[in-house]
Amino acid sequence: MTTTESGQKHKILVVDDEPDLEPLMLQRMRRYIRTGVYEFVFARNGVEALEALDMDESIDMVLSDINMPKMDGLTLLERIPDVAPDIRAVIISAYGDMKNIRIAMNRGAFDFVTKPVDFDDLKFTIDRTLQHIREWREALSARDKLVVLQNELNVASMMQQSILPNKFARNNDYKLFGTMQPARNVGGDFFDVVGLSDGKVGLAIADVSGKGVPAALFMMSSRTLLKGAAMRADGPGEALSEVNDVLNEDNDACMFVTMIYAVYDPETGELTYADGGHDPPLVVHADGSTTQLPVTEGLALGVLPGFDYHQHSHRLEPGDTVVLYTDGVTEAINSEEEQLGLHRLREAFEQNPPQDAEDAGHRVIDLVNDFAGDVPQFDDTTCLVLRREA
Amino acid sequence: MGINAERADGTVIAKADGRIDSSNSREFHSELEAVVADSDAALVLDFEDVAYISSAGMRVILLTAKSLQKSGTKFALCSMDDSIREVFKISGFDKIIEIHQSQAEALSAVGA
Repeated sequence: MTTTESGQKHKILVVDDEPDLEPLMLQRMRRYIRTGVYEFVFARNGVEALEALDMDESIDMVLSDINMPKMDGLTLLERIPDVAPDIRAVIISAYGDMKNIRIAMNRGAFDFVTKPVDFDDLKFTIDRTLQHIREWREALSARDKLVVLQNELNVASMMQQSILPNKFARNNDYKLFGTMQPARNVGGDFFDVVGLSDGKVGLAIADVSGKGVPAALFMMSSRTLLKGAAMRADGPGEALSEVNDVLNEDNDACMFVTMIYAVYDPETGELTYADGGHDPPLVVHADGSTTQLPVTEGLALGVLPGFDYHQHSHRLEPGDTVVLYTDGVTEAINSEEEQLGLHRLREAFEQNPPQDAEDAGHRVIDLVNDFAGDVPQFDDTTCLVLRREA
Repeated sequence: MGINAERADGTVIAKADGRIDSSNSREFHSELEAVVADSDAALVLDFEDVAYISSAGMRVILLTAKSLQKSGTKFALCSMDDSIREVFKISGFDKIIEIHQSQAEALSAVGA
């Protein structure tokens, strides 16, 4: 894009102690001045130039001689960044004065022209400099937008981390542990632990569709709804049905969340769960052998109002560990573009049975990290573990 | 990710390829919207060359299913590999969207 096409007037500060340059410049550039492409302002030395830059923020570039009284062009170059950091300067030097040209370039001059000034070459140099300045400003504005976006993502990420339980009840009957390793661009995983009446405990793990701020907001409302439903509902199936119906109201964006909600009764060792379109629980027995519990034929929440979520019960034996996980675990990708898969998770536990709930949780995250190596992962990696101790 | 589509007698066969995830789900959605018109009788989306679909991609499938339902256009998916079929099964999406083994089966199911 040339200056003319941009349709924008550019203001150029010309700095020279020779009084002849001003009329010459105005005469030779008259066509571009008349059509509003350039506007020239003049200063007689470096001091005046700095004052002009300080007063007038609309100046786009500086065209400066080197030898001047009070402050020369080379000193001016050093001082420009203090008053106008985004301005570019072009130096006018004596023909063949490589020494000063080198100094000027080293001090940040964008380009140089030599005397006697060839005005066609000068026009070309000015346009090239202005083009660079426009691109530089566009890059700065893009960077600013990126910073805003990054700040929003940081807020989303903080929201996500802040709602996760980080202290887990420890008692003689069972132990709990949950952890989430966030993806770089903020996914929408969460887990929750809800204390219920009769000493029962509710466990939830969930994965919201998409990424970023929308996912984080949907995650917050899903989590709040589930907490409420968990307290009221008679069992996990009913809880998911209730959350699903509310999420379906005004859900034009078709966001959804997959979820497992389970209730553990330490009295009986019974784990009752319902899946909302989420991978079913994996039970790791004390000897390392594993059982994947059956799906309850659920559907992701937020998709279909009125859907009836079913539940299933399974009795845990002392020493059994229930691992709830999100697909960031099983769909982790290695450098060969292979997925980690449920089979590798099961093998890892079979070879080396977990010592306790926390060990099992860390082992899941370690397995993903070892498998993925340097390959960036695009999904949160989350697991929630319950181990029946007695 | 890309979509190749052809239309015959009001039935659009669209073939997607590559990985469909949050980095390109918006593009996937606009391309999918571009290949089908309200007046079309059916859209068959072929997954033979799709390597992976994330939840962001599943959301596009859901949006498409809902908008096609409004315009009375039939919608079927086909030719998924086992891992993608599993994603549709686990999420329960196979309960609300027709999935067929082959393109031929999908076409006959939508009456083309």
